[in-house]
Formats: sequence, structure tokens, C-alpha cells
Amino acid sequence: MREYRIALGVAGGLLLTFGVFRLVTELDAGDLLVLLVWLIAAVALHDGLIAPITVGTGIALAAVPARGRRYLQGALLVGALITVIAIPLIGRKGTQPESKAILLRDYTANLALLLGMTAAVALALYALRVLREQEPAGAPPVQDETD
Amino acid sequence: MHDEVMQPSPGPAVTGRTGASRPRWWPRFRSPLRSTAVTARLGRALGICFAVCFVTGMLSHYQYQPWSWLPVPASPVQAYRVTQGLHVATGVAAIPLLLVKLWSVYPNLFRWPPIRSMKHALERLSVFVLVASALVQLTTGFLNTLNWYPWPWSFPSTHRYLGYVLIGSVLLHIALKLPDIKYGLQARLGDADVLTEVPWNENPLAHSNAGTVPPPIMPAMDRRGLFVAVGSGIAAVVLTTIGQTVTPLARIGLLATREASKGPQGVPVNKTARSARVLTLATAEDWRLEVTGPAPFTLTLDELESMRSVSEHFPLSCVEGWSVGAEWRGIPVIDLVRRAGGDASSRVEVFSLQPNGYNHSMLVGPQVGAALLATHLNGERINLDHGYPVRLIAPNRPGVLNTKWLRRIEVT
Repeated sequence: MREYRIALGVAGGLLLTFGVFRLVTELDAGDLLVLLVWLIAAVALHDGLIAPITVGTGIALAAVPARGRRYLQGALLVGALITVIAIPLIGRKGTQPESKAILLRDYTANLALLLGMTAAVALALYALRVLREQEPAGAPPVQDETD
Repeated sequence: MHDEVMQPSPGPAVTGRTGASRPRWWPRFRSPLRSTAVTARLGRALGICFAVCFVTGMLSHYQYQPWSWLPVPASPVQAYRVTQGLHVATGVAAIPLLLVKLWSVYPNLFRWPPIRSMKHALERLSVFVLVASALVQLTTGFLNTLNWYPWPWSFPSTHRYLGYVLIGSVLLHIALKLPDIKYGLQARLGDADVLTEVPWNENPLAHSNAGTVPPPIMPAMDRRGLFVAVGSGIAAVVLTTIGQTVTPLARIGLLATREASKGPQGVPVNKTARSARVLTLATAEDWRLEVTGPAPFTLTLDELESMRSVSEHFPLSCVEGWSVGAEWRGIPVIDLVRRAGGDASSRVEVFSLQPNGYNHSMLVGPQVGAALLATHLNGERINLDHGYPVRLIAPNRPGVLNTKWLRRIEVT
């Protein structure tokens, strides 16, 4: 493993250095400064805002009864991942000339549709689970490995 | 994301100097969903995405600046459509994947003490470079596909240099984490360690290698469920965006940026005649196509249109990841090249009426024989926004290099 680690580390270090060198030599000082602000702001925004919101949501969800919580967690996760992509589209919609055929859709309605579908699937899976747990007496109880 | 308990752990005391000495208010992470096994699997998927993006990105760069000894091939006709469609689709998919990957290792941000040694400081710096370049690369790349440029630098070159930084950081990260990756990929999802802010080798609760540890209890979502949810979310994003290049999926393109069918003559336009400031020049009575070379000549529009024309099915494939197949009719470039005294081995440069921007491009090698000067698009006389009176179209070529509103062709 040691040889692989050294080879990967050297290759990675060289590519990284090359990229930084090109950025530093090809961008003018002002642009470089703005890029640096972008890099730091991206990490600060993620580590200081997005991640804490996610963790906070997780803590809040602990209050939800365990039986239904997994479906709520799943729906929120799927919904969040879709929303991340949809938000810039909503913000940018309709800003470009018509002949570009770009950003013409109603992304707000489409996001609502996708979130609604996500909620519907999660609810259906939850309902299925509740129904299974209410199987008539005599049938063996459904074993859940993870609960 | 789930079931965090940010309070002192109720279990056996954490041993080791790091665990014992941290302040009481220091965040603690207990979600049993997080695991080296989860992170390694997410990382493997993300690493594959970054590799695909890097390779396809380099192929795209090569299209713009090919080596003279290795000209861009004219076939497969759809090659650039596929590689650039893949580049953008993979990059978009990597955005949610990156967020989940970062969630899975968020506790590592809260290692105590924050810095132990010079080596540790460098390692953390390398993680900062990795995370920062990944977030900025994916964000700016995505915004670029929305024609949104809220930054002062030139996108193509900065995107490329940052690509080197990112792929280098990824390789370095793999080198640093290889033992963890090996453990994570070999461990079973259900009973692998719980990843917390305490490093596994200091936390007997958190690492299966520390002895026989009972599998963590997951009262709600389990790790397999996590992957089902993440996979579903990413699949939804990919399926609803990729219709901008995979035409049959355009109908479910709820989040797709381009709609080819809504473009004039069935093809979207990136640079309009108005924004290129060619409206009067392109419609002028005295428009001429000048062809320079060993035997230079000039053509009026009538003369050009009376030349032998052929029809070809070439896609228009944009660097922004959208593409559409179209039927082009026009004069083979090679006919003009021969008439100017050149042949299939000539270098051909075409120039636009457009005063600035991407207003010229080069044809070399196989593309010379395959390119057309298009006068018709999908059965109609090509309109102003698509490059009237005549534009270049060639197979396996980025959209912007199919120069529009031609005025001069140089054969050398």
C-alpha cells in the first residue's frame, strides 16, 4: 500500500501545484483575489451554514416517532438534493433572449411537482409499512433487521 | 444529517488525550448513519465523477486547442456531443453527491485539538483546498450552464486550472486516506464503525478494528436507506436535467436548462445576431465570401448558393452540455478549398462578420473534408441568429467553433 500512497501523493501534489501555478501566473491580481474570496466563502458557507442546518434538522427529527421517521428523513434528503439544483434555475429563469431556448420552464412549479412526488412516494412506503405491521394474527410478525 | 446528539456522550468515557481534554461545549456527533464505510462508498462514487469530469474536460479543451500533430477527428460524429454531455451531466450529479459526502465527514472538522502538529496542519490545509476547489468548481460550472457569470475571471481557463487543483487534491486525499478507504470499502455497511469527531484509533466505541464492537443501532433510517435516498435524489436530478442532451428525455426535463425544440428552426442559439452586432453586415446587399489561398476568389451569395450542396446530419453540441441533432444542407468546404488551390491537407481558417468574441475558427485534418458551409438548417434557409448568410458546421466539434456569419476563408 505504501508504494501506491507515495505514487498517488506525488502525482496529486504535482497536479495541484501545476494548477495553483497556472492560476497565480495567468489570472491578474484582482481576479485572483476574488477567486480566493470565492474559495473561502464556499467553505465558510458550507461548514458554517449548510452543514449546521442539516445537523439541526437531524436533531429536530429525533422527536418524530421512529416508525415513520426514516420515511420523513428519506423524503427530506431527496427533496433537499433536488432543491439544491432547482434554486439557481428558479433564480435565473427568463433572463435570456428567447432564441437561446434556455431557462424557459416554470422551475418553481416543476420543483413543487418533484417535491410532491417525493412526498407521495415516502407516504406510500410508510403506509405500506403500517399495513404490513397490521397483518392478521397468525401470520408471523414482520421482522425488521434494523429496528 | 440525522439523529445527532450534540451533548456529552452517555456511553463509556472516551479515552486518550484528545477526547478527554476538549471543552465541554465542543460539538459531539453521534449519528450512527455516519461511517467510514459510508464515506468510502460516497467517496468512490464522487471520485469516479471527478475523474470523468476531468478527462472529458481535457477532451473539450483539446477541441479548442488541438495539437498540430494530432488534429481533431471528424468521426465519430457524435463524439463531442457524448463527452461534453457526460461532462456536464456528471458535474451536475456531483453537486448533490458532494454535499452528502461532506455531510458524512462533517464531524472531522471538529477534531480536538484542531491542530496537533505541522503534518496535521498540512493535512487539514489539503482538505481545505480539496473542499474549496470542489465546491467552487461545481458551482461555477453549473452556473456557467445557466449563462450566469457572477465573477470577474475568464471562465474557461480558470475552470481548467481549478480542474488541475481539484483532481490533484483528490489524488492527494486518496493517498492520505488510503488505509481508511481500504477499511471502509471492505467493511459491511450495517456493522462498520460510527464516524464521529473523535478519530477511530482514539475511540474504542467507534471502530470495529478496536475489537468486537456490536453493530450500531439505527432506530430510524439505516445506512442502506441512506444510499437509497441519495441514489433516488441524484437519479431524479440527472433524469430531469439530461433531456437537454439526451433528446428522448426532453419531455421529462423538469429541471433541464435548454429546450432544443423551442429554439428557432429547432436548434437553440447562444449568440444572437443582435448581440453579435452583425444584423446589418449579414443582410447587406454587397455581402461577399472572400476565399484566400494560392488561387484566391470571391463569391456573391447567388454564386455560393448555386454551388453543389450536400445534406448532413450533424449535432450542434455546446460546451454548456446541451446538444441537438439537426439536418444541415450546404457547400462542402473542401470544394472551396480545392478551388482556392488547396487540398484535404490544407489548414483552413474561417472568419466571421462578428467584430469580437469567438469570431474565427480553424479546420485542420479530417475536419476539412467533413465540414460544410451551411445555408439550410432543418429544411429551411438558415436564419440570422443561426448564421445567415452562411455558417460553418462540422461533425464532432463544439458549437461555438462552428463559426457563424462567415465573411472570409483562408486556405494555407
